[in-house]
Amino acid sequence: MTAPVEIERPEAEESPAADVPWVTVVWNDPVNLMSYVAYVFQAYFAYPKVKAEKLMLEVHEKGKAVVSSGTREEMERDVEAMHSYGLWATLQKAGDRV
Amino acid sequence: MGHVAEGGGPSLSTAFRRARGGSVAASFHTAEVELLRSLVGQLLELVHDEPADNSGDGAWAAELGLSDEEPKRPTDPVLLRLFPDAYAEDGEAASDFRRFTERGLREAKAGTAATVLASLATAEGASADEQARPREKVRIELDGDESQAWLRTLTDLRLALGTRLGVSEDDEDEWLSLDENDPRRHVHDVYDWLGWVQETLVRTLAAGLE
Repeated sequence: MTAPVEIERPEAEESPAADVPWVTVVWNDPVNLMSYVAYVFQAYFAYPKVKAEKLMLEVHEKGKAVVSSGTREEMERDVEAMHSYGLWATLQKAGDRV
Repeated sequence: MGHVAEGGGPSLSTAFRRARGGSVAASFHTAEVELLRSLVGQLLELVHDEPADNSGDGAWAAELGLSDEEPKRPTDPVLLRLFPDAYAEDGEAASDFRRFTERGLREAKAGTAATVLASLATAEGASADEQARPREKVRIELDGDESQAWLRTLTDLRLALGTRLGVSEDDEDEWLSLDENDPRRHVHDVYDWLGWVQETLVRTLAAGLE
């Protein structure tokens, strides 16, 4: 699959800030299609395509990726949404080792 | 993650493409429609199949957190994959999350599966109008909500089949080396085909996001 060349918009590198206590982690699985996982990140989180694909590749290559951060309630909503899409997701405190 | 075998497009169905009015469309062989219907029917049964002690008042109380009867962690690996633990290292929090969300998730998955069945039934109804010559190809046209239902249900089907088969990453060669008469090979072919259908649907919908 060849992605069209895009001029990447400068985008603040979003890592979970220290004062944001919870994160949603998506785990790699052998079933879900790479295209679908990137689509879900784009469609649900409204992430730009570049960011969605970067996160998808991180899940694929490293086995997991932090895809969102916020309050515990917000992360439970995100995890529930990921499960409804069929992605394997968990939440945890931001400081805990993923 | 999974991927679709190169050049693995099946000969019978056509890829999903953008159609008029923002919908997407593909055509399927009637045998493929029948196969999809059967698989989605089984998926519906699977997600509806709740433990007996979670029905009636017990379920109502459990949902409000008033009862000890909570949806138990599934022992079936397929159900555990469809409804995974939300906390990797906190059994109690995972159990609480399950109590508050699993019923809703089951209903949502059943709802999307029912939407897929309905879109298949509509397509068949259209083909039945043609007298004398039964059509072999059925055109399936999906609006935005139906497309989303198809995406999710195709995923659930692949998760169910993939978990039952025990697929792992980059194991294509192992499946291809199975004997032609091995039933697992047939199931894996179906799994691959569902992946191909989903890939064409995702690509079509992703193009619309930009």
